[in-house]
Amino acid sequence: MAERPLLVFRQITKSFGAVRALRGVDLEVRAGEVHALLGENGAGKSTLIKVATGAHAPDSGTIHLAGERLERLDPALARRRGIACIYQQPALFPELSVAENLALRLEPTSAWRRVVWSERRRMAATLLSRIGADIDPEREVRTLSMPEQQLVEIASAMGAGARVVIMDEPTASLTRREQERLFGIVTALRREGVAVIYISHRLEEILTLADRVTVLRDGQTVACHARAEVDEAALIRLMVGREVDQLYPASESAPGAVRLELKGLCCRAAGGRPVSLRVRAGEVYGLAGLVGAGRTELARTIFGLTPADAGEVWIDGSRVSIGSPQAAIAQGVAYVPEDRRRHGVVLELPVGQNISLAAWRRIFPLGWLRGDRERSEAEHFVRALSIKTPDTDAAAANLSGGNQQKVALARWLATRPRVLVLDEPTQGVDVGAKSEIHRLVRRFAAEGMAVLLISSDLPEVLGMSDRIGVMRGGELVAELPQGATAMDVMSAALGQTPSEGAA
Amino acid sequence: MGAEPAQLSTVASARASTWRRWLLRYEVLLLAVLIVEWLLFYHFGTTTNRRGVTVGFGTLDRQFDILRHSCEIGLLALALTPVILTGGIDLSVGSLLGLCAVVFGGLTHALGLPLPVAAVVTLLVGAAAGGVNAGLICQLRLPPLIVTLGTYSLFRGLAEAFTRGSVTYSDFPAGFLMLGQGRWAGLPVQAWIFLMVAVGVWIWVHRTFSGRAFRVIGFSPDGARYAGVGVRGQLTAAYVAAGLIAALAALVYTSRLGQAKADAGLGYELFAITAVVLGGTSIFGGRGTVTGTLLGVAAIAVLKNGLATLPVVMRMNAAEELAGLLTGALLLAALAAGKLAERWRRSPAG
Repeated sequence: MAERPLLVFRQITKSFGAVRALRGVDLEVRAGEVHALLGENGAGKSTLIKVATGAHAPDSGTIHLAGERLERLDPALARRRGIACIYQQPALFPELSVAENLALRLEPTSAWRRVVWSERRRMAATLLSRIGADIDPEREVRTLSMPEQQLVEIASAMGAGARVVIMDEPTASLTRREQERLFGIVTALRREGVAVIYISHRLEEILTLADRVTVLRDGQTVACHARAEVDEAALIRLMVGREVDQLYPASESAPGAVRLELKGLCCRAAGGRPVSLRVRAGEVYGLAGLVGAGRTELARTIFGLTPADAGEVWIDGSRVSIGSPQAAIAQGVAYVPEDRRRHGVVLELPVGQNISLAAWRRIFPLGWLRGDRERSEAEHFVRALSIKTPDTDAAAANLSGGNQQKVALARWLATRPRVLVLDEPTQGVDVGAKSEIHRLVRRFAAEGMAVLLISSDLPEVLGMSDRIGVMRGGELVAELPQGATAMDVMSAALGQTPSEGAA
Repeated sequence: MGAEPAQLSTVASARASTWRRWLLRYEVLLLAVLIVEWLLFYHFGTTTNRRGVTVGFGTLDRQFDILRHSCEIGLLALALTPVILTGGIDLSVGSLLGLCAVVFGGLTHALGLPLPVAAVVTLLVGAAAGGVNAGLICQLRLPPLIVTLGTYSLFRGLAEAFTRGSVTYSDFPAGFLMLGQGRWAGLPVQAWIFLMVAVGVWIWVHRTFSGRAFRVIGFSPDGARYAGVGVRGQLTAAYVAAGLIAALAALVYTSRLGQAKADAGLGYELFAITAVVLGGTSIFGGRGTVTGTLLGVAAIAVLKNGLATLPVVMRMNAAEELAGLLTGALLLAALAAGKLAERWRRSPAG
């Protein structure tokens, strides 16, 4: 297969504000190969796909398709040139039939063109049979299963003459049998000379399907290997890469008594599975796992947003029942959510009002607003967390991401919590603010809080945690001591090795 | 030495920009509109008749008349302010006014209950009706617009069924009519009621955490939930209070006209919403003040009553139609001016 590469990315970079999502990615995909793209959460895979489909323009770097340089790539041009992407969630019109959906994308559009229904159906049937899909073109898309909709997407890509098909986690929601059917289709595409870029977290899939594997880490290409050259362990090592640097503040305190204990806690109504764990006072308990492993869901249940319908929560040795966020606050549980702009702060509200929002019972006795107390509380936290804001009356929307995150933290510190749940506290935050937040988290723990730190940033979890719990598929699959390596965590998160000391 | 004048000028420009910010505040703009409006009517609507007596807009009686007529819609506007701050709406307050009026009439006439008892029961009925709205909105998570569109028809329908569309309760005792027709300490009695409710709602919205919560819910219902704000409780309070105040408006209405009919307060909800929005409250929630609502009510009331005193309008006999037209124009002009002023206020001083 020593063909000339079909699609070539050279030194692609892309930044969003202060976040450098891609910092020099190289990728070469040949016609007739399945090329797997692998990387941790946030390694830059999604951004790279968006660059390939023209949704994002790269800041620098070049893209060549069949030897010709593509400039000013936009989604329409990408489609014309034969780059198609099959997303996890197919983007079809549910009320229209399969044939109509295909026709919408493939037939030339003109208001006065006559619709030849027989022709339309025949084209749909041909395309579907070409990829071996047994779907009636007359069926309405909403009656199709998710994998069937993916097939329609693939058929549409083929009909458009796609030379490169990108598949983003295509098996995430498929059953075993559906997966095998999809693999058959991927193989068929390869035979037709299509280049398939295949993204998946499932290593066994990649190892059975792919011809070559490219591994991304921190927005850079770290390796490209032929299938025969690598095994699972090697891939994990490549994804994880460097050892954790020593930038993380050391643990200052010996953990005390058990502060938070979950016994089989879950919210079945929200699709959770029982989780048991213990966090001591003064301990930072890291919760690692892939996106969608159920960590945020667990946090929401602890905080009463989706109240538990099974299991128990114990705080400081007594059983508590948390049926709402208000109850959680009363029990000293604080939750700094993942989505800062939607849930962490109220953007329109001034910094001071954001800070006093959760602790209002303490700051405003009997519910009477007290401007003086609010101001002194807010000024205290602005100083303590060094929040950069003109004054406490500035709207939170005017602050940078890192400072907004500090406001969200301040809001919960003001409630004087016993248990602090942090969900991706440094996501989308610049480097300086990130290490400041790390120091603060250490300080909170030293003050005796039990900290549950959810993070998809592997170095952060490894560097900050006294112990690490790894979640997969809604369950806690491993508990690792301090000093665990990135390999250990990734293996557990991917379900590769039998977990050690599992709950 | 060299830095000093620069500093002074910074202070001066800071003061100037604070001053400009205040002048360009929506409420201040609206107050200016109200004053201009009043002066125009005072100038053109006041005349002296053949006996040398001043008649028209510029008389105390006319001013009191304006007050009396604006109290019921004013009460409904006060009731709606917290609701709209939460990003919600209550279309049922006008119908509820009608329902409460005939409930009150029925209780006093058909059941012969003493007036104070009937009044208290009526207020409870209003609060309960607000509770129905709140329950549907909070428990079933239905949109407020749809829920109150439903109860808008439901309450009016109940009022009509109750009176079979024809019964009108009148012959209320003089003591009760005092409420809507008498004076106390120089002012119409209902003006005092209105003032008390206005102060109460102002304190609630601007001085308690509950009022803060309304804004937060209006800005971001999810953000409120994640901050541990009791969204259901706060929304319930806002809608129940709206029902309660609508019932109070029903008592004032009945007493002013001396009769209770099923069509009482027909269409009032739209006037009230107009007043709230004219007062600068965002229909999307979060932003707004009670002061603004009061100015909005006043601007509409003065416009409506003032037009009727203009000789040219009297000759045309078209005060009602013209009032509707000008109210609409005023609302749109005020909203446009507010938007422009906001832009100007945010732009760097210069």
